[in-house]
Amino acid sequence: MKEKITIGPFHPELEESVYFKLVADENRTVTHVEIINGFIHRGMESLVTQKNFMQNLILTERVCSLCSNNHPFAYALAVEKISGVKVPPRAEALRVIADEVKRVASDLFNLAMLTHLAHHHELMKDTMDAREHMQDLKEIIWGNRMDMSANQLTGVKYDLNEEKIKLILETIALVEPKVNALQDRYENDESIRAKTIGVGVLPYEDALELGVTGPVARGSGINNDVRVVAPYSLYGELKPKVTLRDGCDVHSRAMARFGDIVEAIRMIKEVVANLPEGDTYVEKRPHIPAGEAVVRVEAPRGELIYYLKTDGSQKPVRMKWKVPTFTNWEALKVMILGDKVDNVTMILNSIDPCISCTER
Amino acid sequence: MSEVIPKLFRINTGSCNGCDVEFVATAFVDKFQLETLGVELVNDVKDANLLVITGPLTARSESFLKNTLTKLKKPFVVVGIGTCSVSCGIFRDSYAINGPIDKFVEVDVNVAGCPPRPQSIAEGIAKGIKVLEQKMNGEATPKAIDTIFKDFSAPDSFRGRMSLNEENCTACRTCEIVCPSNAIEISSTGDGWFVHKIWHNSCCFCGNCAYFCPTGAIFSTNSFDTAKLQSEKFSDVNVGYIDYKKCSSCGDRYMPPSKGLLSKAYTHDDVTKLNEKICPKCRKEANFKRMYA
Amino acid sequence: MKIEEFNNAIKSKISSGYELKEDKDSYGNASAWIILSNKRDSESVAKAVKAYKGRCIVATAYKNIDGTHTVIYHFDIEGLIINLQLETEDQSIFSITPILPSANWAEREIREMYGVEPIGHPDKDRLFLDYSLAKGVLNEYISLSKMQLGVSETDVLWENVNKEVKQ
Repeated sequence: MKEKITIGPFHPELEESVYFKLVADENRTVTHVEIINGFIHRGMESLVTQKNFMQNLILTERVCSLCSNNHPFAYALAVEKISGVKVPPRAEALRVIADEVKRVASDLFNLAMLTHLAHHHELMKDTMDAREHMQDLKEIIWGNRMDMSANQLTGVKYDLNEEKIKLILETIALVEPKVNALQDRYENDESIRAKTIGVGVLPYEDALELGVTGPVARGSGINNDVRVVAPYSLYGELKPKVTLRDGCDVHSRAMARFGDIVEAIRMIKEVVANLPEGDTYVEKRPHIPAGEAVVRVEAPRGELIYYLKTDGSQKPVRMKWKVPTFTNWEALKVMILGDKVDNVTMILNSIDPCISCTER
Repeated sequence: MSEVIPKLFRINTGSCNGCDVEFVATAFVDKFQLETLGVELVNDVKDANLLVITGPLTARSESFLKNTLTKLKKPFVVVGIGTCSVSCGIFRDSYAINGPIDKFVEVDVNVAGCPPRPQSIAEGIAKGIKVLEQKMNGEATPKAIDTIFKDFSAPDSFRGRMSLNEENCTACRTCEIVCPSNAIEISSTGDGWFVHKIWHNSCCFCGNCAYFCPTGAIFSTNSFDTAKLQSEKFSDVNVGYIDYKKCSSCGDRYMPPSKGLLSKAYTHDDVTKLNEKICPKCRKEANFKRMYA
Repeated sequence: MKIEEFNNAIKSKISSGYELKEDKDSYGNASAWIILSNKRDSESVAKAVKAYKGRCIVATAYKNIDGTHTVIYHFDIEGLIINLQLETEDQSIFSITPILPSANWAEREIREMYGVEPIGHPDKDRLFLDYSLAKGVLNEYISLSKMQLGVSETDVLWENVNKEVKQ
């Protein structure tokens, strides 16, 4: 007996709209999967060519609120490459701080959603509470809980003084033990293990062939972290340690994320302690000549690449970007096929889907 | 008076997920007190009487939204969360955007913000519940509802509603050019005045205008009071009037430079005073005389 | 991965000639640009990428003033970016998805955004673009509402705002 099941597009367990059409057998095992996309497609690659370079600093940030710092960061790197600008050391450090703070908050949100879907209410509340410290920090230093508006075309918009540095360190001191305790619970909690181990398996070979990136790749034993393979900004010196797991399942991907959070905390502390003196940007409104550039950064979900083409005018001729979920998405079909219907939203969450990023 | 149990269902019509993530925080972090409002989150739209909609309504979402709306039983209220649900904000005028949502559904409460703080979202939902009570009891919706959570305050650094210091503004239009969501318009009245308008329901609260403003005239306040009734949609505007001055020397009308710019250009107070009330032409002459006469 | 090594691997496979450019960012990361004279040769390059266990990150396209399209594939082999640029006059390219499955979505997107058909692509369905919109939307630069009505949504909304504001 075959059963047809649809999930979405508007569903309480889906942060963003997506539409699943599944076929399942009598054991509720998925035998066919079709995913309909495009609900969040806002035509942003057309919009960026209608807006000027200053406006695009913000428009790129609104691609997605969870990796909202990575987009203007990569966009600024592309503009800087075309204009031949090297940003001051202090700006590099401030960019890394903003980016890693965002990474901690983003990864914790994904983990909170995992526990929410696993109906582990207590663990979810604790994860959200740990994340709230980062949210408060973002609001006090950057002025918004999600969109930090930290980057400028030749540096950063914000600066840190003694008081703010103290606040960052105090917040980290609060978050670090909580993260360590949470990591332990996610690793060992029986109900979490039961619902995540062996679920949504993406074998190493498939992961390689589909070109997945970020924690999804790391959960299947592949390291293609841009911060390591093609280091930018300060990451060449910071040398982030990458957590690789070989379980290839939902649990492995979650634990790879915890590895990222722990490293992010280490790097924030290190950069804040060695903050270089000097300017935070080169020029407020730089001239951008004709040219083209391809740049990459590592977002919380994996590799983010930007292509920019300019013609010397105030607006880009073409801007294209590829986010981690764009390539991780096809892997969903491998993960869902042969798994249970009830695990579908859990598997979807395990790639930390950023649909607004993907569909633009 | 019958007791009203608000049953909430959320629909994302193409948001950047900021509002949806903040909605989760509002719902599951205790300090934001959504529970005190007695809201029940329902799994099926059929059971809902309080619809929360985020996003600018993309082309592909349109038919699904219309279909979902037919399942609702009256009376119900609609709360639009986030600037793009109110006016499509930064995504407006894209080929893929069919919104704002009030083209397809009667919206009751709008919450501008990008994304709104959890307290603004809670405020919007609280106002939605008030409207729902009135609808259920057959009362008319008032023109405005008082702020329900008065004792919240955001940190000073929070980028809230933008404001303008008319004294420092020279109508140079930098803010209009760098604003990514067309929330600022400066128009000339034709009789010596400029009107500077910031429409909060189009603002994405990014602070670009304040960052690039050469005189510091435009600035963000920490006010997150953005939950408003639909009737206030187009009137929630910060208006500033900037006037031409009469040159005290020749009598011509001119746009004076801001005090901030003057003090940068001329470091001595008496020189600044000399330049304050005269037009550019007379200023040239006066300063030439001052230096060489 | 070194650019030279990759260049040696493709040299004899490309029939119609190509130009190789090397590029370096300010952090010292090298990248390669391969500009093909014949779009057909994209398959040979894709096979070389596959042999090195590389992947297609994404592909970019844009329309030129003379109506032709430029397509750029971005590949990654062990952290090295290889950009493969080709031109098409008839709105078609040869799909490399059968060789590199990671190019699947990138080519579908080029089809719906620019109307450039990847010949031999296994999937015919739309990816993101709703069927209410014609394919090739990125070939045009004017907003939809402005094109249809002569006024943009922004104009309409601001007219309403201005009714409320004392001038």
